[in-house]
Amino acid sequence: MKEQEREVESAELSIWFFCGILMLAYGVVLVVTGIAEYNHPPANEVLLPWLESLHPTLWWGVLLTAFGGVYSVRFRPGR
Amino acid sequence: MTGSEAQTTFTFGTDSMQAFAAFFLVGHQLTKLSSVDILILLLYFALVVFIGFYAKGKANTSEDFFLAGREMTAWIAGLSFVSANLGSLELMGWAGSAYQYGILAAHWYWIGAIPAMLFLGIVMMPFYYISKTHSVPGYLQLRFGEGARAVSAISFAFMTILMSGVNMYAMAVVMQTVLGWNITFSIWVGAGTVALYVMLGGLRSAIINEVLQFVLIWAGAAIVPILGLIEAGGWTKLKAQIAVNVGSSDYTHMWSTLGGFKDNPMGVHWTGIVFGLGFVISFGYWTTDFLVVQRVLSANNLRAAKMAPVIGSVFKMAVPFIVILPGLLALAVLKNPDGTLMHLVPASVAKVTGQHSYDDVLPLMLIRYCGPGLLGLGITALVAGFMSGMAGNVSAFSTVWTYDIYGAFLNKKASDKHYVAMGRWSTVIGMLVSIGTAYLVMNAASIMDYVQALFSFFIAPLFGTVVLGMLWKRATHWGGFTGLLAGTVASVGMFIWVHTNANALRYIAMSPDAKPMAENLYRALWSWLICMVVTVLVSLVTKPVPDEQLAGLVMGVTPIPDDGAKTIWQKPIFWAIVVIVIFFVLNLIFW
Repeated sequence: MKEQEREVESAELSIWFFCGILMLAYGVVLVVTGIAEYNHPPANEVLLPWLESLHPTLWWGVLLTAFGGVYSVRFRPGR
Repeated sequence: MTGSEAQTTFTFGTDSMQAFAAFFLVGHQLTKLSSVDILILLLYFALVVFIGFYAKGKANTSEDFFLAGREMTAWIAGLSFVSANLGSLELMGWAGSAYQYGILAAHWYWIGAIPAMLFLGIVMMPFYYISKTHSVPGYLQLRFGEGARAVSAISFAFMTILMSGVNMYAMAVVMQTVLGWNITFSIWVGAGTVALYVMLGGLRSAIINEVLQFVLIWAGAAIVPILGLIEAGGWTKLKAQIAVNVGSSDYTHMWSTLGGFKDNPMGVHWTGIVFGLGFVISFGYWTTDFLVVQRVLSANNLRAAKMAPVIGSVFKMAVPFIVILPGLLALAVLKNPDGTLMHLVPASVAKVTGQHSYDDVLPLMLIRYCGPGLLGLGITALVAGFMSGMAGNVSAFSTVWTYDIYGAFLNKKASDKHYVAMGRWSTVIGMLVSIGTAYLVMNAASIMDYVQALFSFFIAPLFGTVVLGMLWKRATHWGGFTGLLAGTVASVGMFIWVHTNANALRYIAMSPDAKPMAENLYRALWSWLICMVVTVLVSLVTKPVPDEQLAGLVMGVTPIPDDGAKTIWQKPIFWAIVVIVIFFVLNLIFW
C-alpha cells in the first residue's frame, strides 16, 4: 500500500512534465525563429553556406516541439 | 571530404573574413546573445525557481529534505546520478582535453566510469541501501565507528563547499569570456538561484533540476556533433582530416597507442589507465563520493537503487558524443578568419598571446554552428550545468553537515523539524562560503588547482576503506580508521613531493617519460594500495568486530533481501551485463 502511495506521489511530481514543458517552449521559440530566419539566415550560416541550406534552427525546433509535446501531454498534471 | 577540400571550404573572401572576425570578436567576448537567446535563458530561470517553490510543499521532514523522501524511480535516480557529475566545468574541460589529447579523453567516460557504476549498482548498493544510511560518512560510522565518520564527514564538507566555489567562479569566467558578463553578476545570480531552490525543496528540488539539466544539455549540445559530422563528411573522413591537420593518427585511437608513455599525446601508459583510472580513481569517485551516491539513496526500493547506476551508466557512455566528439571535430574544422587552421593553446599561454584556450573549444564550436535561438539553448545548457553542479555540492554539503557533523557531534537530540531548518540554513551559509571561495579563487587562480587536487587526496583511500568494510568482515574499527588516515597522508605526501621536486614523478609513475596526467593516476593507485595494506595489517592485529554487529553492513554476514525482480528484463544484473558488453564493443571499435 505504501509503495502505491509513493508511486502516486512521484507521478504528481511529474519530473518528466517539467522536462516536456521546457522542451516544448524551447521548440516553439526555435520554430518561430527558424521560420523568421528562413530567408534571412544568421551570420554564422552565411559564412558556412552548407549550413544555411540545412535550416538547423527550424528542424531542431521541430524535434524539440515533438519531444516536448509528447512528454507534456503524456505526463500532464492530474492525468 | 579530403584535406584539401576541407581547406578550400574555409577560404573566405575579404568581406566574409571581416564579417567572421566581427562575429567572433565582439569586444573581448566571443559572442553576444540576441533577444531570443535571452528569452530562452529567462524561461530556464523561471522554471527552476518555480520548481523550488513546487518542491517546498513536499520537503517537510528530514527524510524528504535530505533524501527526497526515498521515493525516486530508478530512471529519475539514475539520470540524476549521472547528471550530478555532468557539470559544465567537466563538459568544457573534457572537450578541451579531447582537442589536446584526442580520443584518449574518452577513457574518463568509459573505463573511468562504466565498470565502477555497474559495481556500485550490483555489489555495493545493496549494503548502502539496506543499512538505511543517509550518507557515506553515515555508513562509515555504522561500519568503523565515529572516528572514521568524523574524518570523512569533515573532509567531505570542507571539500564540497570549496568545489562549489570553484564551480561558481568557473561559471562566471565562462560567462565573461563567452558573453562579456560581469563576474560578480554571474556569481550572485547563479548562487542566489541555486540557494533559493535547494533551500526550498532540498534534494527533491536538486534532483528535478538535475534531470531537467540532463535533458537540456542534450538538447543544447547534441546539435554541435551532428552538424560537425555533416561538415567533416562522417567519422572516417574526420579521422583522415585530423591525421592531416595534426600530422599523426594517434588522436583517434583509444588503446593502440598506450603501450608506452612516449607513444601517445597524453603521456600515459595502459597500466595507469586500467589500474589507476579504471580501477582506483573511478571506483573511488563513483562508489564513495556522497555527491553522486546520495542520488541513488533516494531510490524508492532496492531494485530501483540497483538499477539506477546501471541506467546512469548507459547515459554516461553516450556523453562522449557531445563532449569528446566536438573536441575532435575542432581539430579538423576549426579555422581562423583567414581560413588557416585555428590552434588552441593552454590557458596560461592564451592569457599572454590572446589566442583561444583549449577550454574554449565547446563555446567556439557552439558559436560556429548555432545562430540565435540555438546559441541561447547551448548557453542555457552550460548555465544549467554549472548551476546543477553547485546544487549537487551544496545539497550534499547540507546533508553531511546536518546529519554527520551537527547532528552527530554538536546537537544529537534535536527534533526532526529542527534538522530540516538546519538543512535550509546550512544551504544558505554553505552557498555564502562558496561565494567567498569564488572571490578567493578570483584573486589567486592557483587555489583552483589546489582545491581540485585536495578532492583527489580523499577519494582513493576512501574507496579502499569502504570496499574492505563492505567485502571483508575481519576489517576492524582501528584498521579502517588508520588505513584511511595513512592513505590520505600518503596521497598528500606524494602531491607535495612532485610539486616540490619535478623529478619525483618518474618514481611515482615508474617511468622517466611520464607526463603530469600520469601523476594523478599513479598517486591514486599508490594511496589506495597503502590504505588497503595498512587496513589489513592493523585489522589482523586488532580485535575482530562480532558478526552480529556487522549484520546489514558486510557481505557474508548479511542476507541480501530479494529485490523483487521476477523476469530477466527486471533483473539489474542482466542489464549490467548488456552494458558491459556494449562497453567492450565500443572500446574495440575505437581501439
